[in-house]
Amino acid sequence: MRIFLYDGSFEGFLTALSLGLEGGYACAISKEDKAEAGLFSEFVNAGTDPEKAAAARDLIERRGSAESWQHVRFAFLSEAPGAETAIFEYVKLLAEKGPIADSMLADDRVKKVHGLAASVGGEAHMFKGFVRFKELADKTLYSKIEPDHNILPLVAPHFRARLGEFNWVIHDGRRGKAALYFNRRLIYAPLTAARALELDGKEDEVQALWKHFFKTAAIKERTNPKLQRQNVPLKYRKNLTEFE
Amino acid sequence: MDLDKKLEILAESAKYDASCASSGSDRGGKGTGAAHLGGVCHSWTSDGRCISLLKILMTNECVYDCAYCINRRSNDSAKAILTPDEIAGLTFEFYKRNYIEGLFLSSGIIVSPDHTMELMLQAVRKLRETFRFNGYVHMKVIPGADQSLIDQAGLWADRVSVNIELPTDKSLQLLAPGKTKETVLRPMSRLAQRISASKDERRSIKSAPAFAPAGQSTQLIIGATPETDREIMKLSEALYHKMRLKRVYYSAFVPVMKDSRLPALREPPLLREHRLYQADWLLRFYGFTADELLDEAHPTLDLTFDPKTVWALNNLDKFPLEVNKASYEEILRVPGIGVTSAKRILRARRAWQLKLDDLKKLGVVMKRAVYFVTAGGQYGGIKKETEEAIKIKLLEHKNTNGQLDLFSESELVKEGLTGTVTGQL
Repeated sequence: MRIFLYDGSFEGFLTALSLGLEGGYACAISKEDKAEAGLFSEFVNAGTDPEKAAAARDLIERRGSAESWQHVRFAFLSEAPGAETAIFEYVKLLAEKGPIADSMLADDRVKKVHGLAASVGGEAHMFKGFVRFKELADKTLYSKIEPDHNILPLVAPHFRARLGEFNWVIHDGRRGKAALYFNRRLIYAPLTAARALELDGKEDEVQALWKHFFKTAAIKERTNPKLQRQNVPLKYRKNLTEFE
Repeated sequence: MDLDKKLEILAESAKYDASCASSGSDRGGKGTGAAHLGGVCHSWTSDGRCISLLKILMTNECVYDCAYCINRRSNDSAKAILTPDEIAGLTFEFYKRNYIEGLFLSSGIIVSPDHTMELMLQAVRKLRETFRFNGYVHMKVIPGADQSLIDQAGLWADRVSVNIELPTDKSLQLLAPGKTKETVLRPMSRLAQRISASKDERRSIKSAPAFAPAGQSTQLIIGATPETDREIMKLSEALYHKMRLKRVYYSAFVPVMKDSRLPALREPPLLREHRLYQADWLLRFYGFTADELLDEAHPTLDLTFDPKTVWALNNLDKFPLEVNKASYEEILRVPGIGVTSAKRILRARRAWQLKLDDLKKLGVVMKRAVYFVTAGGQYGGIKKETEEAIKIKLLEHKNTNGQLDLFSESELVKEGLTGTVTGQL
C-alpha cells in the first residue's frame, strides 16, 4: 500500500488527499512522524503544493453539500488517530455520491467524519467559556489552554470580536502554539514555554473575588458533584482559575 | 465593609434565582464585549448549575417580608449594598478575564421600587456607557416600579425578567403579603408589549433601538405551595403563548427560612423540578399542549417515567410509527427520539430506507424507542405491546439499584441538558 506522508499542516494534508484521490489504487495518508512501516508499505512524501491543495478543496466543495468543507476542516483539527484516513474515505464517498453523501448519516464513513467534526465544534464552544485570562504587568491578558483538539483557530476569532481593545495571548500548552493578538492583529505562532509571568498588581485580588463568588454561588442542598464533573471534566480544571 | 464581603452576601442572596441563560442576543459593536446568540456557559458550581453571568443582588435589604425569601425584612442577616461603580467595575474585571458572559442584576427593594430601579439602571448605564460594554446583561424588573423605568431597563439590558415565584394569587397572599398577581403581571405585560413592538419596528428600520433583544423570562418556586403540576404547566403555557416569554424557570423550593406558613421539606423536590423542565421542553420544542400531558384526573407528573413516555404509553394506539413515512411532528413524539435525532431521521431517510440498525447510529435511544417504531416494517419490540409489558421492560433499563439516575436517564434530558441544567436557550 502506498502511504502519502504530509508535514502536519492542513495544506500538506490536502496535497496528500489530492494525490490519494488521483492515484486510484490502495493508499492511505499519514503525518510524517506518525507513520508506521508495514511490510508492504511504500512511503511517498506528499510535500505541500498549493495547486493540489486547492484542487482537493474544489472537489469537496463541488461534489459535497454546503457543509462538507467545514466537516473536513473541523475533522482535520481533531488530530484524532485515523482522522486523515477517515477524511480520505469520506471525500472519496463525496466524489462518488455527490451532495447526498452528507445525508447518509447512518453510513460509517459519514458518521465518523461528522462525529469528529462535531467533537471539535463542541470543544471549541466549551473553550469559549473555559479560557481564563490573567492580567500581566504590561496589561496583556494571558491564557493557557490544553484542549484535546486543535481548536485555537476556532476560538481566537471569538475573542478578537469581544476583546478587540486589549492585547491578549491564548497559549495552547499541549501543542506549543499560541494565538497572539497585539495592536488589533491576530497571528498564530509557535510558543513553547512562556517566561515566568509577572502578574498585574490587581490580578490576585480579582482572582480571589472570582473564587469566592464561585464558591458562594453553589446551593449546598443541591450538591451534585457528578453533574459538575459531567459539565467541567477534570482534565480541563487545572487551567480554570476557580478550580486552582 | 470590603468588596469581598459584599460580594459574598449579595451572591449568596441571588443564587436561588434559577435563570442563568446568556443566550438570545447578538449584541456587539465598538467597545468591549459581545453577546453570543446561543449563550456560553463559563463554569459549573458544585451543585452542577452553570455560571454564565455574574449573578448578584444590588442590595439584599428589602421592604417586603416574603416568607420563602432569604432577603425578607425580618431576616436579620448581614445587609450589604453595591454602588453602581462597584457593580460595573466588578463586571468588567470578571468579563475581560472571560469568567463570565455578563451581568445578572437583581435586587431587594430599598426605599421604594422606583428608587431601587433607578440605582440598578445607573449601574447598567455605567457599564454600557462608561465601560462601553457590549456583553450580556439580564436585569430584573422590580414590581411596582414606574413604567418609564421599566422601559429603560429594556433599552439597556439584553434580557429582562419579573419573577412570579408563586403560581397563584392565593399563594402570593399567603407567603408574599406585599405582592399581588397584578403587581407582577402588569410589568410583565408591559415588557411583552414593548418587546414585540420593537421587534416589529426593527423589521422595517434596522437601526431602531432593540428592546430586550433576548426577551423576558420568569421563575416559579416549586413545592413551597400546594399548586399541582397541571396548574403550573397551564400557567407556563399561557406565559409562553400570551406573554411570549422566552423561558419559565422552575426552582425547587429550598427552605432557607423557617416559617410556619412553609412546608417542612427534608430536601428540595429536585425530581419534580426535573420533570417540570421535561414537560416544559415538550411544550416548547415538541409540539405538546399542557392538556395532552396532564388532565384533571391526572394533575401530577409521573416520577418514574418522563412525561413523553407517559404520554406514549397512554396513546399506544398511535404506535408503532413507521420512521420512513411518519412526519417530523409525529417522530418527535416517540420516546427515545429528541429534536436532533428526529431531524437526522428525516435527513437520512432521503438517502435510503432506514432499518432498525440504522436508528441507533442516528442517535436514537433504542432501548426506549424500540417499542414505538417500525423501520421498513421491522418491529423490534415485544410481541404483546401492552402498556404494562412495556413499562416493565423500560424499568429494567433503569439503574439496577432502583435509584433514578437524575440528569442522565432520558434523551429529552440529554438534548435539553443545556437548558435544564444550565438554562441556555
